[in-house]
Amino acid sequence: MIRIYRALLVAQIQAASQYRVQSILWMLFAVIRPVIFLAAWVAVARSQGGQIGAYDVRDFAAYYICLSLVINLVTSWNAYEFEFEVRMGRFSPKLLRPLHPIHYSVVENVVWKLTTIIPLGIILVFLALTFDARFRTTPAHILLFVPSVVLAAALSFLSSWVLATLAFWTTRVHAITTLWDRAGFIFAGQIAPLALLPGPLQAISLALPFGYVLGVPAEILRGGVSVSTALVLMGGQVFWVVVFYVALQRVWSVGVRQYSAVGA
Amino acid sequence: MKRYLRLLRIFFRTELQYELEYRLNLVLEIVQGIVVTGTSVGAILVLFSYTTVLNGWDLGAMLVLLGCFYLVQGFGELVLQPSFEKFMEHVRLGTLDFALLKPVSAQFLVTLRNFQVVQLAQMGLGAIVVVVGLSRIPNIGFAEAVGFPIALVCGFALIYALLLALSTFAFWFVRVDNLMALYWSFMDAGRFPVDVYPGWLRVTLSSAVPIGIAVTVPAKVIAGRLDPLGLGFLILGTIAAFVLASWFWRLGLRSYTGASA
Amino acid sequence: MMHSRAPVNAVIMPRMTEAVVDVRELRKTFRVSEREEGLGATLRSFVSRHRKDVNAVAGITFRIEAGEVVGFLGPNGAGKTTTLKMLSGLLHPTAGEARVLEYVPWRRENAYLKSMTLLMGNRTQLVWDIPAADSFRVLQEIYRIPEEQFRATVKELTELLELGELVHKPVRNLSLGERMKVEFAAGLIHSPRVAFLDEPTIGLDISMQSRIRRFVAEYNRRNGATILLTSHYMDDVVALCKRVIVIHRGRLLYDGPLADLAERMAPYKIITATLHDGAASSADLDAYGTVVSREEGRVTIRVDRHVAPERTARLVNDLGDRLADISVEDPPIEEVIDRVFTSEQTTVSA
Repeated sequence: MIRIYRALLVAQIQAASQYRVQSILWMLFAVIRPVIFLAAWVAVARSQGGQIGAYDVRDFAAYYICLSLVINLVTSWNAYEFEFEVRMGRFSPKLLRPLHPIHYSVVENVVWKLTTIIPLGIILVFLALTFDARFRTTPAHILLFVPSVVLAAALSFLSSWVLATLAFWTTRVHAITTLWDRAGFIFAGQIAPLALLPGPLQAISLALPFGYVLGVPAEILRGGVSVSTALVLMGGQVFWVVVFYVALQRVWSVGVRQYSAVGA
Repeated sequence: MKRYLRLLRIFFRTELQYELEYRLNLVLEIVQGIVVTGTSVGAILVLFSYTTVLNGWDLGAMLVLLGCFYLVQGFGELVLQPSFEKFMEHVRLGTLDFALLKPVSAQFLVTLRNFQVVQLAQMGLGAIVVVVGLSRIPNIGFAEAVGFPIALVCGFALIYALLLALSTFAFWFVRVDNLMALYWSFMDAGRFPVDVYPGWLRVTLSSAVPIGIAVTVPAKVIAGRLDPLGLGFLILGTIAAFVLASWFWRLGLRSYTGASA
Repeated sequence: MMHSRAPVNAVIMPRMTEAVVDVRELRKTFRVSEREEGLGATLRSFVSRHRKDVNAVAGITFRIEAGEVVGFLGPNGAGKTTTLKMLSGLLHPTAGEARVLEYVPWRRENAYLKSMTLLMGNRTQLVWDIPAADSFRVLQEIYRIPEEQFRATVKELTELLELGELVHKPVRNLSLGERMKVEFAAGLIHSPRVAFLDEPTIGLDISMQSRIRRFVAEYNRRNGATILLTSHYMDDVVALCKRVIVIHRGRLLYDGPLADLAERMAPYKIITATLHDGAASSADLDAYGTVVSREEGRVTIRVDRHVAPERTARLVNDLGDRLADISVEDPPIEEVIDRVFTSEQTTVSA
């Protein structure tokens, strides 16, 4: 398996070098929205004398910079491509290969992240200086961030695949993914740090998977939560990863059977 | 002029007929529009749960701004995005020739040819948000009521000019999707007043990618915060941008047909 | 009035009153930039580009009279499409003059655009997702065709092309041949007086090709439209064009009746002799000319055009009873054309 992954990785890195411009653009998507909301929160904080809850202007900056990094590391988008292929009937050849299609997707995502991390880092350092961000990160937070972001990536990846797998049944997956993305927009920590979401929204955010994908790892990286809270939140991440892992297994096997029965 | 309006109507009608055949799709798109608009309003409500005023914009004015954002974005996606995408495809496939052979302005035929009718729903939702926002603004005078549509049309024209200029590069470089994608990614910044952004981003959003102006200025006008002079500048700037972009387009076309060089 | 200089091989056309297409020393040089894909390379090439000049059309002159159907022949890259694009106003020439219906095409005056059409076999102007009938309506508005005339034209084209219900199906559901028929209807909906057809039958099966051919001939007969046509299929040209213009490497090689093309360009004839006793394989016929093939008692001999009658007579005389059949023909038109191009290449490189 490791050898297969190495071969895929090499092939994918070569392919990625041809898509440099696209990957930089995709990276901009990861930066622009956090910057937009950062600017809005800075304006809100200024109107309230510089402090909202536990956040001042510099904390907001740190949070949104962490969020931007997390978005880039966590988001996986090629499940959409899979949906497209199923809809167009181009998916069958991939089922014939002896390797589960999901592995291609894993490798593609990893390579994409590797290729964008350096330019993104430069942009984020620039942003941190512009907004004078204050990080409260301790070494313990960094140690926790690594598994947390991996869990978040797994959660995001698995959930997007579960959604994409619905393409086996319906051609209207796009509508469902829009719904999912917009729920993420509200609950994942994009429009506000989780701690600042009004009570009921915060409850939903932590009861459902959304908060664990972006907000939790971003807060851990910023050092915005204590180590013990971080561990509890990571417990939530593990829970949802397991749920989606099991769900994907079930949905996939039923879906492929459905797909091959209908034929395409 | 009348003729071009007739043509627009027929372009629109053909597209509408086509989209009406996929009713479920239409319904789903509208539902998605409601979800997207609703969550955006939600985001603003969350922000305003901590303050009553954001950089001088109160909740009512902010909603008007968000509505303008969806109006402008909806307009872009209603006709500009589909037309410009088609245009680039025409350049790539060589079918642009057919448009150039028609006894109608080629610029018109290329840039306002394709519609995504369902985006009207997005514009409608934007209009609703504007109205809701306006209901919170106490007194709207005659000047504001007249200035607002003018500013909004200027906003549309600015976006049109920008996209026209960007896509004109297709005459030389064929693949310019990346430039367009860059534009759409900046578009999202229009949901907040342009003056909340830090210097470099504000400059980008009001000059290079004038989405900030296209959205913020109409909202300012209706909220009674823009003086006539500012509106005058907007109108002049829009005309200048339009003329400049059209000139650039003709330059591109001339190079495409080998009239220059 | 300046008289155009006739190229070496051209038949000098008698000057008639009205030339629909009048081309003089038309020339097009492309600057081709060599560039890689991608935005980065694109931006770099903004600053400096590798360029080279390509002479697509190197000065051609011809006239076409009203109602003629002219075949425009040449191998790939000969400059046919470039010429058609200049004549339809899509390209500005580098030098030279052209008048079509008295208009300068590349000024693209609306009056001109309304009276001509360009049909390209490998490109479609119809909108993929909607039925052609809807596209026709859009075209009606664009060309401002009065309703009555529009109905009459659609009716006529529907009948001539046997369109039936095709116009009411989304274009993407049509087969290639059906699409081409609908494409023809779209291109002719404004009843143009001049039609430029670029490879109109490309990729179509034999029966669809011949249907399109019949249509073009009939359309020309009914409407008197002037037609300039390029095609890779010689059958198209043989069926439709009395006159052909041959270009190669941007230069005019021949302009005249199709019937004379073989005579001028291929100075030989083909004698086919069928022998009774199957002795064909052994008979020594090299003395009569170049033996091209022998099979099943049939021998094909190529002889110089001017000695053909004498050689045939000798052959009949010498073979006597063993001869079952004999025929003397011009070589197939494809072969003539092919020979023209290859011989031109040798003279150029020599």
